[in-house]
Amino acid sequence: MENRLLHTPEGVRDIYNSECERKQVIENKLFNVLKQYGYQAIETPTFEYFDVFSREIGTTASKELFKFFDREGNTLVMRPDFTPSIARSAAKYYHDEDMPVRFGYMGNTFINHLSLQGRLKETTHLGAELIGDDSVDADAEIVALMIRCLKSAGLKEFQVSIGHMDFFKGLIKAADLEEDTEYELRELISNKNHFGIEELLAEHEISEDIKLCLMKTPELFGSIQMLEEAKKMVKNPQSLSALERLEAVYEALKAYGVEDYITFDLGMVSKYKYYTGVILKAYTYGVGEALITGGRYDTLLNHFGKDSAAIGCVLVVNQLLAALSRQKIQVETEHDKVLLVYETETRIEAVEKATVMRNEGRKVTMLLKKKEWSKEDCLSYARRNHFASIISMDKDGTGKEELV
Amino acid sequence: MRYLTFALGKGRLAKTTLEMFEKIGITCEEMKDKDSRKLIFVNEELKLKFFLAKGPDVPTYVEYGAADIGIVGKDTILEEGRKMYEVLDLGFGKCKMCVCGPAEAKELLQHHELIRVATKYPNIAKDYFYNKKHQTVEIVKLNGSIELAPIVGLSEVIVDIVETGTTLRENGLTVLEEVCPLSARMVVNQVSMKMENERITKIINDLKEIL
Repeated sequence: MENRLLHTPEGVRDIYNSECERKQVIENKLFNVLKQYGYQAIETPTFEYFDVFSREIGTTASKELFKFFDREGNTLVMRPDFTPSIARSAAKYYHDEDMPVRFGYMGNTFINHLSLQGRLKETTHLGAELIGDDSVDADAEIVALMIRCLKSAGLKEFQVSIGHMDFFKGLIKAADLEEDTEYELRELISNKNHFGIEELLAEHEISEDIKLCLMKTPELFGSIQMLEEAKKMVKNPQSLSALERLEAVYEALKAYGVEDYITFDLGMVSKYKYYTGVILKAYTYGVGEALITGGRYDTLLNHFGKDSAAIGCVLVVNQLLAALSRQKIQVETEHDKVLLVYETETRIEAVEKATVMRNEGRKVTMLLKKKEWSKEDCLSYARRNHFASIISMDKDGTGKEELV
Repeated sequence: MRYLTFALGKGRLAKTTLEMFEKIGITCEEMKDKDSRKLIFVNEELKLKFFLAKGPDVPTYVEYGAADIGIVGKDTILEEGRKMYEVLDLGFGKCKMCVCGPAEAKELLQHHELIRVATKYPNIAKDYFYNKKHQTVEIVKLNGSIELAPIVGLSEVIVDIVETGTTLRENGLTVLEEVCPLSARMVVNQVSMKMENERITKIINDLKEIL
């Protein structure tokens, strides 16, 4: 047999046995949380027209999209994330709905990363989108929902960082910078590259106090008190209203009692073009990237013809599982499978017993015993495959359940 | 307390960095033993771990969080293009990334002509020619002794690090254009910066004091 047949391409992999079981347990828990908060399940296609994920709307560079053609020659794209698809659906099916709509989703996404980086190209995303609600309460709900998700998965030590796009945008407007410079500055600030910022600003005519603010921005992260400091620093109305919004969100989060997990980061300036207001990320030990990213995207639905505010968030399930295993947090999987061993002569009794047990909600696996297998062989098979108990059907059609 | 892990670029960079760290009270006695074949060095008291890695690998360790903090040259940061925080210019290992070649090659850089560029840093060279100079070029990736390329006719110019320029002069080459200044930088993993904010900020501030 060709060995090639056994391999999976770079960046994709099989998930099987106990790992798959753990993943499903976690996925169910997370999705349950979404349901508890009233987010309706939605499924969108795995691939869509390229335009849905294009430069103005999308989060992923064109060269990192998996693309192919349909029979008419249209370019199709495997979804790199869900948000544009959900925005499209919402604009299409809820065009005339003026009140809030909530969507929850889970599925695999595809990003064609550079090779040899040890990164998965297919990952499972779980997310929530709250459309048609521009309130502080909506911001807080999404944050609280994500915290609840992480807790329900068993994670204890994590942090949610909240920022606001308008803080940076207000400073940029006040500084009156060109788009190219803004882009460069955005990169530098999100990399916390102080001297880079200093160098760049030195080349431009900007008033000293705005310069100081921009240079300070990467350092503006920490607890709620930091917002007070920031307030004293900036003067432009856009940045100030961003700070007020963050304080209001914090106030609303107190109702959920989750303040301990919250920090603020004004230097968080997402490269995603569609974010307009509050943005957030969640971090934990053991993984080098954010587990959760999200934010407000009040103009995205406009691209699809619906004028509506929206906020959403996505949790990368694979990252969460990696964090759990690196932090040695056990995922409780069900341990209740039964192995029912029978021979051709006891088939009728065995099937009958299995049916009765299955009707009772038990998980029964049938194993037709071969002559050469000893009792010990069957037992070791049961252990290898994580069975909880084993039943050997006797000739007279009875069998006792024994723990493995 | 968790361990904070440092990845240091092998060679002179690591030596100077350790001397600097000693000044702010971060020591690692284990590392001073030249005969040691250990790969990882630990300071149990301060809960710090150190390891040496090849320069271009440092950003990889830091991006994935295998190391919280890395010390590496700006050239490597630019070339690797990894997602991480670049928090401090350590001020040593200063040099420049330059376009070099024989003096007569200067003419080739004026008109958007298609030329061949040999370099160890294809990403930096590409970014410079395509995005800054808007000149289409053919990049030839080499792994060392880049100066050879224009001499033997493999390329018209090279993009390489220039410190003193002695090697260039001895081989009849000169600096034609400067791409960017370089020096040693401290980089931090994005998650570590959030989760271990206090300890890392203290290190950054202590280092700033002595710079």
